[in-house]
Amino acid sequence: MITLLRAFLSALPMAVRAIRRNKLRASLTIVGITIGIAAVVTVTSLATGARERVQGQISGLGSNALIVFSRSTRASGVRNAAERSRLSELDVQAITREANSVRWAAPFLRSSAQVLFENNNTSTSLIGTRTDYFSIRNWGVSEGALWSPTSETISERVVVIGKLTASTLFGPLDPVGRTIRIGRHTFRVLGVLQEKGPSPFGQSQDEIVAMPASTMRSFILATRPSEVHGIMLSATSEGTTDRAKKQVESILRHRHRIRDGEEDDFRVRSQDEFRAMQETIYGALSALLISIAAVSLVVGGIGVMNIMLVSVTERTREIGIRMAIGAREADILLQFLLESLFLATLGGITGTLVGYGAIFAFATALDWPMELQPASLAMALGVSTAIGLIFGFFPARSAAQMDPVQALGRE
Amino acid sequence: MTPERDEPLIELEHIGKDYVTEDVTVRALRSVDITIAHGEFVAIVGQSGSGKSTMMNIIGCLDRPTRGTYRLDGIDVTHRPNDARAIVRNRLIGFVFQGFNLLPRTTALENVELPLVYRGISAAERRQRALASLEAVGLGQRLHHTPNQLSGGQQQRVAIARALVTSPPLLLADEPTGNLDTRTSLEVLGLLQHLNRQNGITIVLVTHEPDIAACARRVITMRDGAVRRDARNEQPLDAASALAELPPPDEGDTA
Repeated sequence: MITLLRAFLSALPMAVRAIRRNKLRASLTIVGITIGIAAVVTVTSLATGARERVQGQISGLGSNALIVFSRSTRASGVRNAAERSRLSELDVQAITREANSVRWAAPFLRSSAQVLFENNNTSTSLIGTRTDYFSIRNWGVSEGALWSPTSETISERVVVIGKLTASTLFGPLDPVGRTIRIGRHTFRVLGVLQEKGPSPFGQSQDEIVAMPASTMRSFILATRPSEVHGIMLSATSEGTTDRAKKQVESILRHRHRIRDGEEDDFRVRSQDEFRAMQETIYGALSALLISIAAVSLVVGGIGVMNIMLVSVTERTREIGIRMAIGAREADILLQFLLESLFLATLGGITGTLVGYGAIFAFATALDWPMELQPASLAMALGVSTAIGLIFGFFPARSAAQMDPVQALGRE
Repeated sequence: MTPERDEPLIELEHIGKDYVTEDVTVRALRSVDITIAHGEFVAIVGQSGSGKSTMMNIIGCLDRPTRGTYRLDGIDVTHRPNDARAIVRNRLIGFVFQGFNLLPRTTALENVELPLVYRGISAAERRQRALASLEAVGLGQRLHHTPNQLSGGQQQRVAIARALVTSPPLLLADEPTGNLDTRTSLEVLGLLQHLNRQNGITIVLVTHEPDIAACARRVITMRDGAVRRDARNEQPLDAASALAELPPPDEGDTA
């Protein structure tokens, strides 16, 4: 053990000196590893950050939220995608009346439109709903107010708008009380919604114009009477989400006259299901990104191996001299292995630094909450050490197994 | 005055060496029997292709013979594994080559320390022994010069210091003066003779120059892979006195 340590300590300065002799070559090799490690560190952190962010957004949906979507059914084996939604206001009334685990239920209509204010115009998504919708989603107004139940009854032309829509249309002006145009109709802005950030699916939730469902039906979207696109629900508590889901399913099956064994024409999704779905997508995406980064790391490793092979060939005579004066195979192996380890570890350290720099840059530019994990530092150093060992072993072994007579050029 | 002992240091019995290259077998050594005792100063001479370099490689444990037995200091080293032979080279043999074979861009002191590194000796003791060895070859001044900052003679002195630093019983010199002028050659030979006489170190010197071989007390002549002649030289040339008889060096001529 002490012999090994001593061999290590005496081989280390030799390795360092050999590297310093070829600064340019060593630097280029180190850059190769740096790029690989930086890519892995950045991508790993990006993926972790993305996952955390998505989970935060799903929670932001409202803690006990459930969403009912209409679902096209199979007619003689063919899925009819263009089929209209079978959900209606009457379903909402029935749910509110009968499902005792449901606290709020808000129907919604969805569309998109070009919205105008003076010379500014922007394309946003439209939503027609009731004020309960915002309660379910824990979503309030930052300026002005929501519409009143009366507005819903009389189909008043009033809207609340998302933060981004507000800034696009109005710039520095206060939108509250001003009038926007959608199609041929004008609508009065009552309030601006709090900033919500992108949805779990990546669209901005702050580019939105919301109005009473009755208003939307009257002035923007022709629907069948009382048709709705979906229903946003919230369970009475987190523990009753599953029960609420079952109740809603049973009520809707009964109302839509779906017999046992037949396919539902709707789907109820809970937050957990959203989360699972997202995790699958992000898991696949991160795996892809990390494998791409890993490929660049392997390329860096091949760079180390290449330079070590060149180094061994160039220093054949030196190897011969060392062998003649008593270096054993292990001594030569250790010397060259330390060189490749040194190159790779140095690349690992600079790669981690560059990676952290990139993470900060991304975090600032994209407002992406990326975490600097100590684990990724340990991983980067571990991986670069492993690369130094794996890709350095073959050149080092070929040096150690040289025939001293040939290495000295004595043949 | 000569510390020659009867105990054999080198025993070569029926040593043969073949090189096989693409169906052609070259017999570099046929059957060589040589015994060299402790404290001898032996020159192995012969033209190129005579097998003297092959012999040197085998004596130096750099190469294995195809046939025969080689005992060094009583140890049969014929079929030792690589690591064992590395240890034998480190402990029993000091090498001095024609091309000096110092590590480039490495100071004289570090070059001399190197064999001790492979013996696992502590840095402080390495330094002390390397200094003593460089002092012994008259190079106490240029410790921190790298080989390209030293003259040929000085480089060869560093190589000799490196060979001596482990206090081996055997010093193998392969054309040690091949790259040196007459004056410097005599200096190096004088140093070798001095080491042989004072320290009793056995010297085996391979050369193709009769002048150089004249300094040895025994001359083995090789030809076609066999020993042709093995003769005692009762009156070896004393390199130190030969050096004194040379005309003084020209201005600016540095050794």
